[in-house]
Amino acid sequence: MSSKTLKTIAMRALCAAALSGAAWAAHAQETMKIGVIASLSGGGTAWGLGLERGVQIAIDQLNAAGGLKLGGKTYQLKLIAYDDQYNAAQAKTAADRLVNRDQVKIIFGPVGSPGALGSLPVTQPARVLQFVDGYAPQILRNQWKGAYVFRINNSTQEFSEPIVKWLHKFAPNAKKIGMIAPNDATGQAGVPILADAYRKNGFTVWTDSYERGTKEFTPLLLRMMAQNVDVFDLNANAPGEAGLLIKQARQVGYKGIIIQSGGAGIDELIQIAGPLANGLLKYDVIDESLPRVKPFVAAYHQKYSGVMNGLAPVYYNAANILFEAMRRAGTTDNTQIRDQLEKMTGYDAPIFGKVVWTGEKDYGVNHQLLHTFVIKEVTNGKASVKAVITP
Amino acid sequence: MFSPAVLGQVFVDGIGLSAIYILIALGFTLLFGIMRVVNFAHGAFAMLGGYALYYLYGGLGLPYLIAAPAAALIVATVALVLERVVYRFFYQRMFQSMIGLLGLDMAIMYLAVIAWNAEERSVPPSTDALLHMGSLVFPAQKLIIAAIAAIALLAFYVFTHYSRYGLAMRAAAQDVDIAEAQGVNSTAIYRLAFFIAIFMAALAGGFYAQTYALSPFVGEPQLMIAFIVVILGGMGSIPGVALGGLLLGFANSFLGTFYGSATSIFVSFGAVILLLIFRPWGLLGVKEA
Repeated sequence: MSSKTLKTIAMRALCAAALSGAAWAAHAQETMKIGVIASLSGGGTAWGLGLERGVQIAIDQLNAAGGLKLGGKTYQLKLIAYDDQYNAAQAKTAADRLVNRDQVKIIFGPVGSPGALGSLPVTQPARVLQFVDGYAPQILRNQWKGAYVFRINNSTQEFSEPIVKWLHKFAPNAKKIGMIAPNDATGQAGVPILADAYRKNGFTVWTDSYERGTKEFTPLLLRMMAQNVDVFDLNANAPGEAGLLIKQARQVGYKGIIIQSGGAGIDELIQIAGPLANGLLKYDVIDESLPRVKPFVAAYHQKYSGVMNGLAPVYYNAANILFEAMRRAGTTDNTQIRDQLEKMTGYDAPIFGKVVWTGEKDYGVNHQLLHTFVIKEVTNGKASVKAVITP
Repeated sequence: MFSPAVLGQVFVDGIGLSAIYILIALGFTLLFGIMRVVNFAHGAFAMLGGYALYYLYGGLGLPYLIAAPAAALIVATVALVLERVVYRFFYQRMFQSMIGLLGLDMAIMYLAVIAWNAEERSVPPSTDALLHMGSLVFPAQKLIIAAIAAIALLAFYVFTHYSRYGLAMRAAAQDVDIAEAQGVNSTAIYRLAFFIAIFMAALAGGFYAQTYALSPFVGEPQLMIAFIVVILGGMGSIPGVALGGLLLGFANSFLGTFYGSATSIFVSFGAVILLLIFRPWGLLGVKEA
C-alpha cells in the first residue's frame, strides 16, 4: 500500500471520527431523573395528580427548550413517580425506591404531612433535595434542621391567623367553630394550630376525627350539629373527603357557614358536592384568571383533561424556582443548589411572582415559601375570588 | 346537646346506611349460599358497576331508570366470561376461592387504574332533592336506595322460595349431586346465580358511587361492608343480610354519633369477632353439620 493511499485512509478516518464526534456532541444530552412522591390513589388523589402534572409540565417545557444546561452538560429531565396512598409507610417505601434504586437527587412531594414526615428519614440523610407540601411544622423543624427540604406552599402556620381574622369580619356573629379532621399527622398537626388561631380571636372550637378512607360522615356531622356550631371548618381535609363532608353536612340539614381553611383546589369539591357546594368559602392558592397564571392553565388543559387541581400550578412554580437555582449553581451538587435556592428571594417565579422564603422564627430555617392566597366562594356551581389575602 | 331533631336524623341516617349495606351484601351472600364461593372480587364488580353508571348516566345522559339497570346488566353480562374461565373452577371450594378471587379482585382493580387512572370522580345522583318533614331532612337519593333495597330483598326471597329456578338453586345449594340426579342442570343454575349476584353487586356499586364517590379503589370498603353484614346475618342467608345490614347501619349511625367513629368501628369489628367465636354461622345462618 502506497504512502498516499495510507494518508488518504488516515484523513478519511480522521474526518469520519470528527463528524461522528460532532454528531455525538450534538446528542450528548444526559438524562436527569426527577422523583415524584404523590397520592395517586385514595382521597388525596386530586392533590397527587396536581403535583405530578405540575412538575411534568415544567419538565416538558424545559426539555422542549433544549434541556437544562449545567457545567457544560445538557440534561433532559425525566420524571419518575410513585404512589404514597397518602400515608407515611408508603411514602417511605417510595422514597427508598427513588433514592436507593433510581438514584434520584431531587424529589417533589409528597403532599400531606403523613407522607412528608414518612419520607424525610430517607431523603434528608441522603441530602436529597425535597419539595413538600404538608402542614406539620416538623417537616421543616426536625432533627436534620430542614437542611434539604423546602415547603413550597403556605402551611397552616402561615394562613390560619389571616383567614380567621377575615372570617371574623365576614361573619361577626359567628361564635363556635366545628372541625372534623383525619386522625393522622395532617389532622394532628394542622388542627391545633388552626384551633389556636380561632381561640385567639374569641371563637370556641369543637373538634372530632375520623380514620382515613371513611366515606360516611353523617354520624360525625350529626355529632357536630348537636354542638350548635356556627361555622364548619373543613381544615386540611383532602378534596375527596372534603367534598363528601360538604355534601353530607347539607344533606342532614346543616345550615351554617362552611369554610375550608387549607388545601388547594376547589373544583373537585364542587364536582363531588354538586349544588350542595353553593355558599362554600375556601382557601385556595391561586386565582386562575390572573394574566400570569393563564398560560399555565392553558398548557395544563392542552395536555390533560378534567379538573385542574390547585397544586398543579404550585408545583409548576416550585419546579421553575428549582431549575433557576440549578442554572445559577451551574452544578448538580445538591448543597450548592440548596444554597442558591436560599438566595432566590426576589426571583420572579411564574405563578406566585417574587419568591419570599420565611420560617426562621417558627421552624429554625428559611425554607418556607410565603405567598399571597385567595378565599373563593361557590355560587351557582362556580367558584369566584371573594378575597385576596397577603399573610 | 342531642335534640330530638338530631336523634331523629340519626334514625333517618341509620335507614339510609342500612339500605346501602343490604344492597351491597345481597350478591355476596347469594354466591356463598349457592356455590360456597367467598367472592373477594365482589367489590371489584361493584366498582365496575359504578363506572358503567358513570358513562351511561353521567356521560351518555340516559334516563336514570334505564341507565341504572343497564349498567348492572352490562357488568353482569361481561362477567359471565369470568364465570366460565375463573369462577367455575372455584365452585364448592371455599378456601381456594378466597385466595383465587382476591387475586382477581386486585387484577380488576389495577386494570381499572390503567383504564381510568386513580382520579376520584363523581357520579351525579338521580336527584339532589332534600325532603323535609318537620325538622328532619331526608335526602331523596337515599330514600330511593332504601326502596330499591326493600324491593330487592323481597324479590330475592320470592325468587328463591317460589320460583322454579330459585328452588333449583336452593336444591343445588343443599346437595348438588342429589339435585343433579333430580334433573337440575347445576352448571346453568350456577351461571344464573352468578349472573344475579354480579348484577346486584354492580347495581349496589352504582348507588355507592352516587352516594359517595367513584375511583378504582371504591370496591374495597364495599367488600368489607358485605363481609361484615353476611358474617353478622349468616353466610348464605337472605333474611340474615336484612338483619345484618340493619344492625350494622343503625350501629354505625348511633355509635358514630354518640361515641365517635373509632368506637363505631371498634364495636362493629368486635361484634364480628365475638360472633365468629361463639356463633360462627351468624345470627340467622344455618349451622353446618
